[in-house]
Amino acid sequence: MDYSLNLLQPGEKAYIQTVMDKGALRRRMMDMGLVPGAEVEVIRLAPWGGPMQIRVKRYYLAMRLSECAKILVGRN
Amino acid sequence: MGTMKIALVGNPNVGKSTVFNYLTGLNQQVGNWTGKTVERKAGYFKVEDQDVELVDLPGTYSLTAYSQEEIITREFILAEKPDVVMAILDASNIERNLYLLLQILELTPYVVIGLNMMDLAAASGITISAQKLSHALNLPVIEVIASKGKGIKGFLQEAIHMGQLRDAPQPVKMKYPEELEGKITAIEEKLPEDAVGFPQRWLALKYIEGDQAIEETPSESVKKLLQEWSDSGWNEAKLEMAVTDAKYHFIGTLMPDFVQFDENKGKSWTERLDRWALSSVWGYPILLGILILVFWFSFVASAPLGDLISRFMAWASGITVFLLQAVGAPKVLQNLVQDGIFAGVGAVLGFVPQIWLFFILYAILQDSGYLARAAFLGDRLMQSMGLHGKSFFSFVSGYGCNVAGIMATRTLENPKDRMITILLNPLIPCVPRLGVMSAVVAAFFPGGRGALAMVGLLGLSLFLIAFSSYFFRKTVIRTEKSVFVMELPLYHFPTARNVFYPAWQKTYSFMKRAWTFILVASIIVWTLSSFPAGVTMDQTWAGKLGSALAVIGSPLEFDWRIMVAILFGFTAKETTLSTLGILYGVNVDAPQSIAQAMAGSMTSLQAITFLVVYMLYIPCLATVVTTHKEIGSWRWTGFGVVYNLLLSFGVGWLVLQLGHALGF
Repeated sequence: MDYSLNLLQPGEKAYIQTVMDKGALRRRMMDMGLVPGAEVEVIRLAPWGGPMQIRVKRYYLAMRLSECAKILVGRN
Repeated sequence: MGTMKIALVGNPNVGKSTVFNYLTGLNQQVGNWTGKTVERKAGYFKVEDQDVELVDLPGTYSLTAYSQEEIITREFILAEKPDVVMAILDASNIERNLYLLLQILELTPYVVIGLNMMDLAAASGITISAQKLSHALNLPVIEVIASKGKGIKGFLQEAIHMGQLRDAPQPVKMKYPEELEGKITAIEEKLPEDAVGFPQRWLALKYIEGDQAIEETPSESVKKLLQEWSDSGWNEAKLEMAVTDAKYHFIGTLMPDFVQFDENKGKSWTERLDRWALSSVWGYPILLGILILVFWFSFVASAPLGDLISRFMAWASGITVFLLQAVGAPKVLQNLVQDGIFAGVGAVLGFVPQIWLFFILYAILQDSGYLARAAFLGDRLMQSMGLHGKSFFSFVSGYGCNVAGIMATRTLENPKDRMITILLNPLIPCVPRLGVMSAVVAAFFPGGRGALAMVGLLGLSLFLIAFSSYFFRKTVIRTEKSVFVMELPLYHFPTARNVFYPAWQKTYSFMKRAWTFILVASIIVWTLSSFPAGVTMDQTWAGKLGSALAVIGSPLEFDWRIMVAILFGFTAKETTLSTLGILYGVNVDAPQSIAQAMAGSMTSLQAITFLVVYMLYIPCLATVVTTHKEIGSWRWTGFGVVYNLLLSFGVGWLVLQLGHALGF
């Protein structure tokens, strides 16, 4: 079952399936290692709908929830 | 031997500046890349008979065309053809760093690698063998611990050695999957034999990725191929992803050769610190505490130093006047020197301690990695104002001094985000303004009502910032919503060089620019208020100017004195109150007395109107000068000034009308 990254909770892990959208945002996400097959782990969420901190390619990346929504992930 | 040109390249936060500062010392030339608002740093030195020009390229994650840093880096490598590229890789982040490296290798094979932060990597359970990495890439790899200065000289030696080689190195060649390789070759065949200055394969890849910054427009035959592929499902987006994916995949195949991961390593320092720094409960109090500390140190604790400078200036002024008297110089000249020149220059120099201290603290916060945490915590608020989390620190600093706030926008990558933050910074009332505001508020609204008035004014300024941000984005600075995606680097202890060099450079460059403008402005102000001699204030040129401007002031019920004070306040806001004091005939230069004098000649509503305008309008010449320096364009600086003046007077007028409508 696929869902988007912004729906995950801290502690959950998943694998990236697709990066939607286009243009600068998508390019930036890809450059940072958010490519299909990459494993991501949600570390924490900033309060009041703020950004999400994830671990990808063994480093920490922060993204707004609206940006995380563009990343579709799955369990396998 | 000619001068060898070496470029320093790497991701942000890998220690590039540390290496650069170590190698160049204070021998750096700092400017801007032509036509861009990104800092350009170059250093010149000699190593055993070999002259070296070392250029620090901006930290970048990739070499695509979406950010200034990327464009600058690749244009430099392509157009200025450095002899060697020193690539600095962060061992604790090796995959993403190799991604950039592969792109560099597509442009030039003359690359030497400095593998930094091995200690941080080890703490995260990552063991890399520099030797095996070198073998896998077929390039020299030097272990470096930049923060301790270890290995940097060897790194440079290796680079110089490569620059002196005759034969080109043969680094590992990136293999794309069949599908892509086929397409790359297909385009390569359609390219002219001598594609101007670009490696053919690279140009082909750029066309496939749909790169926006390639000036060479693709030929018809290339366009045809791209269209064919797009029709069969391989559109630009898919191709772009395929290329990026292929690179990361390639890196994945190489990694087992030189990296070992220990998954059971205990929590790193970064994890431990972030549990507090980014916790939902403690994060904000800690942030507040740190901000207060920065604030207090830079703008309050620096006061004794500022005082010292003022006293020195007064003494120097006295000596100069004495000397002028001794040689029989006219009284006018003496006054000019004392009240015009020394007062003006003194005002700028008085700034220096707080600016310098601020830059030191700012550099500490940035180098340690904490600023990224501040941006993470502040983003929700910034997002609601249409801004990037990194603008948060800039605005908070603005409360201390707008010049500091404007210079703190360097971390913003998107130039439009940066420009908006810079143009809006003056709407934050800085310490001098807050001082005047509280004195006037206290005179008109004693006790609790005063606090309410202050909060109301501050809230108004925040609202106007949000409003202006949206307004700019919709009209003049049209831009896609800002991309937040931001790395949270591992914490590390800031190095002295990374703190003191930039702090000094920024302070010095601020002084250099500001003092001429302020000197001229001070002389003008003095001239306007001193001539014609011997008449009452309202008859001086300044007074007449004020009366003339009263036309603008009358809708806001500002009399000529207020207009003169506003005019003069343009050079430095602190002087507004003392100017008003002189104009109201108050002999004591104490805010309370002056405020009392004002209370006698205007209503509370008029005072509020004045405060609104005073709080919002251009804080001081130093701010305008700094704005120009950071934006690089008089046109935009001018726009910012005009917008600011219109907004402050417009809102002031609205407040007045609202007040009247409510019966005050």
